[in-house]
Amino acid sequence: MTLCVRSVSKRFAARRVLNNIDLDLDGGQALCLCGANGAGKSTLLRVIAGLLRPDNGSLALDGYDVRKDCERYKRRLGVISHASMIYAELTVRENLAFAAALHGMRKPAARVEELLNDTALAAFRHDRAGILSRGLLQRLAIARALLHRPGLLLADEPFTGLDNEATALLVSLFRRFADDGGAIVIVTHDVRLGLECCQRVAVLDAGRFRLDAMKTDIDCDRFAQDYLSYARNDSWNRSGSH
Amino acid sequence: MESFWVALKAIFVKDVIVELRARQVLPTMVVLGMLIVYILRLVSEPASGAAPLVGAAALWVAFLFCGLLAQERSFAAEQHQGCMDGLLLAPCDPGTIYLAKLCVNVVVLCVFEVIIVPVVLIVFRLSVGARWPDLLAVLLLGNVGISSVGTLFSAAVQLARTRGSLLSIIVLVILMPLMVPATFALLVLFGALPEEVGGSGSLAFVGSFKAAAGYMLAFDAVFVVACWLLFAVVVEE
Amino acid sequence: MRRLLFILAVFLLTASTWMALTAGQIVPVQRNILYAHVPSSICALLCFVVLLVAGIGYLAGGRDIWDMIAVASAEVGLVYATILNATGMIFSRAEWNVWWTPSPRLITSAILWFLYVVYLVLRVNLPGSRRRRARICAVFGIIAFLDVPMVFLSARFIPDMHRPSFSFESTWQSAALTLAMIATVLLGAAMIWLRTDSLRNTLRLEEEFLA
Repeated sequence: MTLCVRSVSKRFAARRVLNNIDLDLDGGQALCLCGANGAGKSTLLRVIAGLLRPDNGSLALDGYDVRKDCERYKRRLGVISHASMIYAELTVRENLAFAAALHGMRKPAARVEELLNDTALAAFRHDRAGILSRGLLQRLAIARALLHRPGLLLADEPFTGLDNEATALLVSLFRRFADDGGAIVIVTHDVRLGLECCQRVAVLDAGRFRLDAMKTDIDCDRFAQDYLSYARNDSWNRSGSH
Repeated sequence: MESFWVALKAIFVKDVIVELRARQVLPTMVVLGMLIVYILRLVSEPASGAAPLVGAAALWVAFLFCGLLAQERSFAAEQHQGCMDGLLLAPCDPGTIYLAKLCVNVVVLCVFEVIIVPVVLIVFRLSVGARWPDLLAVLLLGNVGISSVGTLFSAAVQLARTRGSLLSIIVLVILMPLMVPATFALLVLFGALPEEVGGSGSLAFVGSFKAAAGYMLAFDAVFVVACWLLFAVVVEE
Repeated sequence: MRRLLFILAVFLLTASTWMALTAGQIVPVQRNILYAHVPSSICALLCFVVLLVAGIGYLAGGRDIWDMIAVASAEVGLVYATILNATGMIFSRAEWNVWWTPSPRLITSAILWFLYVVYLVLRVNLPGSRRRRARICAVFGIIAFLDVPMVFLSARFIPDMHRPSFSFESTWQSAALTLAMIATVLLGAAMIWLRTDSLRNTLRLEEEFLA
């Protein structure tokens, strides 16, 4: 699994939100993407997800271009967003069955059961999604994202509103996904959790990558305290890159 | 190709289930439809001889306005919890989403039709005799035409605060031409006009039931195809 | 260049009006409104074609200029559609003593007017980014353009009781009408050009202000 993002830029009105972004991600890599509000993190994620068209640049997953091979691109993608993308009137099982059908899975029952167990939702399978708590809804959203065995998982603030138990479950799911060869991009303000799940960190600042390094190459404590000033520090300003 | 049918069926079934459980739109449609029919019946009492015309008008006006309710809901439901993104992230063509939503809107209008048509026939004292298959065909053609444009633009106006009124003005202006042959066809079925009306006033005048039905079919074909092709443009962010 | 276009248009309009009211005068006098009615109808339809082409151009290329041309042609088209409907109603009243009648011509004129109005209302009321608004309006332009021949065909289901039984026969009359049509089209083109420039400047100012 390889994600290849080249020279992606995006403007909203006169504001440049993404400025010539390059990103390469391989299978098994988990990237924690940090940045201040308005830095462009969610925009980048939406561009990678194919929901937003960039002004220029290209994106490819396993060589499949986001526009030319849209179907193959989307088959390899799973997204966990702010919003759960879950229908309140459908039960937990029905939501997953629907997502499976959207991905063209013909006999998804076994896979649905597997995910219900993995996300500890088996007891709620016949409950309407509308009555689920935020934590359970997030688990359902994760199950939905993993249903079709994507190669790349995009998670936008996945830990928001989760209790410790749910957070631990999510962290273990992410780790397992990466161990199985999948690539993950996690956008989070909770840097410590991000560092726990990921081996690579990047900081987006005013539409550019200020920092993109492996966890082992940085001072994690200082980074976790104030990643923005850490990233803006001269020692990381490698000129000519990003 | 198979994934197209799987996705189409899935979105269709999902919408039907959601509507059956939420029960939001159909009851409101039925009440609005009946109110429209009764109001038009009451105000047309002094001209009771015009019952077929007013009855046909009442039927189409009810279809138009109640259809708008259904169409607005069809994408409003997707705004909750970012479900529209969920649909767009699926590896199916956006046109599939349009066709599925179109089918749902047509079915909802058909259910509405089953309730409202007998009301119109009774209240206006009309009958179609043995020609009820023709009546169903004309209503279905009108139904598809009304749903085709509404489904496309419902997706377009979702974020607007005045989305109901915006959708109404778009749909009503585009559907104006469909209403003329539609009413003509109903008038023939109600017995107010002969099957073939002789040319009068202008050589360009066409007064035949078959031509009216043919026009409606052509209108539906053109707009369903055009809306299906343009849907991807409308849902793009 | 644009100034030249305006001057030429006004000159031709003056010439055609003079010709219409003297050598080309139609009897009875109220029918002379057709010299305003027919060119307006041509221009209103042409503006719609420009709207369609600009809409397709925007969807294909994404360049803002196409969108601005579309808006400009909608605004100019609305002006012509208003003149078309007004002159049509005046003619109808003078000729058949009714302000409005559902004849194919008048129905098409009315719906054309409505289509322009709805386009402009959409333009103002659609939320979201300017690009999204432009895209949706372009889609509406395409659907609306498909609607116009449908309107004309559908009107054939209504007997046209009031057909104008007049045609521009004499050479002076045809000449005056042709000149009027050319003048109106040139004027329309100049106005679209002017309005497009004005929109482009507004956009540039906005972007500079925000940047």
